[in-house]
Amino acid sequence: MTVKMTPSGSATDLIPLAAHRRILHGDLGGKILLGLMAALIVVVPILNLAVPSDSPMHISTYAVTLMGRYLCFALLALSLDLVWGYCGILSLGHGAFFALGGYAMGMYLMRQIGDRGVYGDPVLPDFMVFLGWEELPWYWLGFDQFWFAALMVLAVPGTLGFVFGWLAFRSRVTGVYLSIISQAMTYALMLAFFRNEMGFGGNNGLTDFKDILGFSISAPSTRVALFVASALALALSYLICRAIVRSRLGRVVTAVRDAEPRTRSIGYRTDRYKVWVWTVSAMLAGLAGALYVPQVGIINPSEFSPLNSIEAVVWVAVGGRGTLFGAALGGALVNYAQTLLTAWLAELWLFVLGGLFVAVTLFFPRGLVGLLRRREGS
Amino acid sequence: MIKLNCIPRQVAHVVAAGALAMAGFSGQVAAQEDPIKVGVLHSLSGTMAISETALKETIEMLVEQQNEEGGLLGRELEPVVVDPASDWPRFAEQARQLLEDEEVDVVFGTWTSVSRKSVLPVFEELNGLLFYPVQYEGEESSENVFYLGAAPNQQAIPAVDYLMNEVGVERWALLGTDYVYPRTTNKILEQYLKDAGVADEDIMINYTPFGHSDWQSIVSDVRDFGSQGKKTAVVSTINGDANVPFYTELGNQGVTASDIPVVAFSVGEQELAGIDTEPLVGHLAAWNYFMSVPTQENLEFIQSWHEFKGDTDAVTNDPMEAHYIGFNMWVEAVRRAGTTDVDAVKESIIGVSVPNLTGGYATMMPNHHATKPVMIGEIQPDGQFAVVWETPGEVPGDAWSDYLPESADIIASWRKPLLCGNYNVETGECSGQNYGD
Amino acid sequence: MRINVGYWRFIGMILATLLIGAPALAQQPDADAEFAEQVAALNARSFDEKAAAAQAIADSGHPRASTVLQALIDSRLYFRVSGGDVVLAEPTDGGFALTDPVTGKEAGTATQYEVRRVVINNAIRGQVRDLIARAGLTSADAEVRRDAVRQLLSNPDPAVAEQVATLIKDEPKADIRRDMALVLGLSRLGSGDPAERLRALDALRGSLADRVRNQVRELAANDPDERVRQQAGAMLSNIEDKRQLWGLAEQVFFGLSMGSVLMLAAFGLAITFGVMGVINMAHGELIMIGAYTTYVVQLLMPNHIDYSIMVAIPAAFLVAGAFGVAIERGVIRFLYGRPLETLLATFGLSLILQQLVRTVFSPLNRQVSSPAWMSGSIEVNAAFSLTLNRLYVIAFALLVFFALLAIFKRTTLGLRVRAVSQNRAMARAVGVSSSRIDSLTFGLGAGVAGLAGVALSQLTNVGPNLGQGYIVDSFLVVVFGGVGNLWGTLVGGLSLGVLNKFLEPQTGAVLAKVLVLVFIILFIQKRPQGLFPQRGRAASEG
Repeated sequence: MTVKMTPSGSATDLIPLAAHRRILHGDLGGKILLGLMAALIVVVPILNLAVPSDSPMHISTYAVTLMGRYLCFALLALSLDLVWGYCGILSLGHGAFFALGGYAMGMYLMRQIGDRGVYGDPVLPDFMVFLGWEELPWYWLGFDQFWFAALMVLAVPGTLGFVFGWLAFRSRVTGVYLSIISQAMTYALMLAFFRNEMGFGGNNGLTDFKDILGFSISAPSTRVALFVASALALALSYLICRAIVRSRLGRVVTAVRDAEPRTRSIGYRTDRYKVWVWTVSAMLAGLAGALYVPQVGIINPSEFSPLNSIEAVVWVAVGGRGTLFGAALGGALVNYAQTLLTAWLAELWLFVLGGLFVAVTLFFPRGLVGLLRRREGS
Repeated sequence: MIKLNCIPRQVAHVVAAGALAMAGFSGQVAAQEDPIKVGVLHSLSGTMAISETALKETIEMLVEQQNEEGGLLGRELEPVVVDPASDWPRFAEQARQLLEDEEVDVVFGTWTSVSRKSVLPVFEELNGLLFYPVQYEGEESSENVFYLGAAPNQQAIPAVDYLMNEVGVERWALLGTDYVYPRTTNKILEQYLKDAGVADEDIMINYTPFGHSDWQSIVSDVRDFGSQGKKTAVVSTINGDANVPFYTELGNQGVTASDIPVVAFSVGEQELAGIDTEPLVGHLAAWNYFMSVPTQENLEFIQSWHEFKGDTDAVTNDPMEAHYIGFNMWVEAVRRAGTTDVDAVKESIIGVSVPNLTGGYATMMPNHHATKPVMIGEIQPDGQFAVVWETPGEVPGDAWSDYLPESADIIASWRKPLLCGNYNVETGECSGQNYGD
Repeated sequence: MRINVGYWRFIGMILATLLIGAPALAQQPDADAEFAEQVAALNARSFDEKAAAAQAIADSGHPRASTVLQALIDSRLYFRVSGGDVVLAEPTDGGFALTDPVTGKEAGTATQYEVRRVVINNAIRGQVRDLIARAGLTSADAEVRRDAVRQLLSNPDPAVAEQVATLIKDEPKADIRRDMALVLGLSRLGSGDPAERLRALDALRGSLADRVRNQVRELAANDPDERVRQQAGAMLSNIEDKRQLWGLAEQVFFGLSMGSVLMLAAFGLAITFGVMGVINMAHGELIMIGAYTTYVVQLLMPNHIDYSIMVAIPAAFLVAGAFGVAIERGVIRFLYGRPLETLLATFGLSLILQQLVRTVFSPLNRQVSSPAWMSGSIEVNAAFSLTLNRLYVIAFALLVFFALLAIFKRTTLGLRVRAVSQNRAMARAVGVSSSRIDSLTFGLGAGVAGLAGVALSQLTNVGPNLGQGYIVDSFLVVVFGGVGNLWGTLVGGLSLGVLNKFLEPQTGAVLAKVLVLVFIILFIQKRPQGLFPQRGRAASEG
């Protein structure tokens, strides 16, 4: 890959409108992904809502929710690929951003329960009543408004990402060190969120949601809507990521990945570029979490566990690092495989997952996409 | 194989593949003579597999036995086992799969509170039946869930009574893992102890995270707390894995059961199987069942369990008995109703009485909790418990604790005309949880 | 200083004393008959009756009374299901070997369905312990007398005080005399005569024991005599000051002990990551393999638990080391220079190893017994004692540390490892087989992880998740201490342990850990190279 490096330009002229048409230029995988999303958005609602349930073509609400979940994971994988594939920053803590986005959404959903909780308190969620709290902590204020929660879904992971990235990249913590401290970050957050005193429901987390924007969360139509939202979010995020990597910023960032000291010596403030991309990535991960929570109906601190973050890295590696659409594909496929395998051979799943890690790194370093491309080439 | 210049066909391919995969999700074609499907929702992998695998096998054994006796209503029983892999969102997902796609008639499953909370909305939405086998914090009564484990008044309170009255304990260290069951239990106990005249400074409460392994400071604090001249006991709601290092540290710091006895609510035969019990002799546990109880029913149950497992060292424990009771109650209720229809079974099961394994009877009450005897056992060197005290009769489970101010006025009854899981007797309202809307 | 020896050793001593020390009395048939009746009453229905029977046995003066009571509290007393005869039972392979409690003669064998244990509760266990202690006061064995006085100190009885008053004069051992004086002093604090109470206070000066403090506090608050109140008050504040100081010492010990576990777990990583630059996410599972090796060794030598750990140490090193070499040859060597890929591949291996253990050993935790010489504690004084297993772990960690230092500094292997790590090409040029050195170094790191597993098997659960809990901590210790530097790992581990333990009382265990993690994250921003920066392969790569 040749990288054109010019010391001019800044992070602000990101997506010139003219570039819009060129975003997908030569990106066959991206076109397929977007086409697939478009197809799913049209087909799934029809098959679920319009086709009678005894028809073989009917898709059950269970399957819709399951696919919605895969799409959220695909989005998480996409956000991870943006930093790993294009910046060379291997984050072992992206689950933290995902979970924070999820918690922000969960807090909104909790406030929507209103007085339908077990104890019937109009304001306080059940677990607060239970812990004997008198009033809502300040950080829960505003979450009864959807717009505020939606803002927080992006702002909270974004802020954490910015602060963490700013500290880390400015002091040139890179490579393995960065991976390890990002893991420490998500681990620390997990321990903190497990504490009941934190005011996020401790181990039980946030659950028993009733409705979202006034629609019952368990209604099939809501579930289909959430699925469509996830597909749209994935498509849109893909375009954003694609725009970033195609922009001048993206090229600088790629240069950072391939030779940071050299890029720096040419005169680029590499840390700023990295912080910027890192923050966007954190926000996308937060978005994925926010869409995930209403579909699965629960968010709890185990989403912060380091294992989850590492698993997400594997999705990216399996799909194909540095291709964006490959990462999304990996996120969906690995999880689909998990659903299938745990149903048949529960004990085997970890062997398969572990073997996948080893095999991908040893034999298919470019993932599934690399495999397909090689076949095309030969 | 894949032509990269033909996008529409590509999409069609992927969509077709997706549709095929989904057909896989949406259930199988029903057989002619439908068997009755019994869903089993226990983690077979992940951190909870250690506890839940035995429960899955218990249900499989009970189903097998029932089929040998000719099934139920002339139909075979068929277990449908899924693995939620100790992942809470997956519990909800798998519950939906069982109810929506497999169309099971009843589900036995979940262990932790968070997994139960995770599946609860699914069972209420799809009107399923869930039998929950583990002791829990109470403060819940769902129309679709039957709670066969102990509520706090069936475990914690009798244990404290025993220590207070029979052992003469005056100071209390309440140690627990930081999650909802210990928090509720300790809150109830704190209130109960204060009502009994125990002073604030004679109660110590401490929470630790899951899997906590460095107990040095806490045991040292407990030892100090217990050295002030009054008889002291530890009430432990410490969960699973954290117990081994906790008891080891107690032993090493020289705290014996005769100095400061520890009564545990989450340590049973299965947990002790991984511990060197020699230094633990004399510490206590409170349960509704012990493997060492020498009744005929229990010996038969143990024997069939050993045969089923092919292992004469396999242990039985309290949640297994809860599944045994729950399963038999459900069988009896289906017989009475003459159908497996969920609404009919929900109605017929209230009042059903089946023998438990310790020589008494368990009755399903209108609040969906059962009557259970409470026993205190002391740990023996072989990892079993010797029963040293027992309630004179069975104790009915209380869904809403009388010792918590927010739930003191709340009762549950799923019998007409009340039909409410949290009815406030003060305001006369079925507050909160509007089921079914 | 006094070593509180293991449980079984204590029993062994009592039995030995009885065999040697008990006068060989001609046994009266009617005394035997009465004794047999009392023994049979141990299997009564109520605990009150059982307690009375135990008291009667102690009072009988029968030569086998101590044996029976000891068996009772050791849960070795059974009764036959048919007939209800009380027997002494020792477990054998197929069941139990029985002994007649009255005559001490063999009484056949029984299966596990034919006998059941005589159940007692804590109250009876405590009562019997006191009874045995009282009998032990006059024992010829100093060890027995020492334990007897100790038992009485925690549970004094005015009637015994009189006996102690006469015994103290002839007691040859100074430390036993001191404990006896405490027993006496404590009982005299309750005297009606203020002068006597003052004298007792004087006698108790310097003791930090719980009971002394509690009774002095009682006197300081409530004694009718002004002078006693004053003196008790002064003594109390003295005791409390000293205890606080010792409490600080205890906190440091806890911190060092926690730190020693951290550094022991991190040493292996300090080698594989620090020296070789390999991110080995399966490190935790190598620790787990060490712990499981300890378990297997113990299974293989069930009659020598006390020494099995000595076998387990080299075995764990070799087994984990062999796994390490296999991992290096099979996977890692293809990935040198690609640290992030190594991370992924080894993480995959960690999942496979975990599942392998689940498949082979079941997902349940395995029981690893501690050898008797590792349980108990060294009591510096009443307010401060050092738990033996923790002490051994600290010592073991230091031993491993110095052994590693020696290997790296003094052996040819160490020299070569350092050469390869500093400049691979140059090392090869002078004839070092770098790939062999890589295998050996990784094997060494893995073996050391196995050693950590042996130590952890003595402190915590041996289960498939054992390693997971330590992987994040280990990496942080290594990075905090400075990659490529064993001293850094030592200082890093110990200081994080102490920091954690000093935070814990203020914040609770969870928040302490969170704060330590945040501290490390910020520290690495400030000093990315850790406490002791050193250049190795890892330091130059990213």
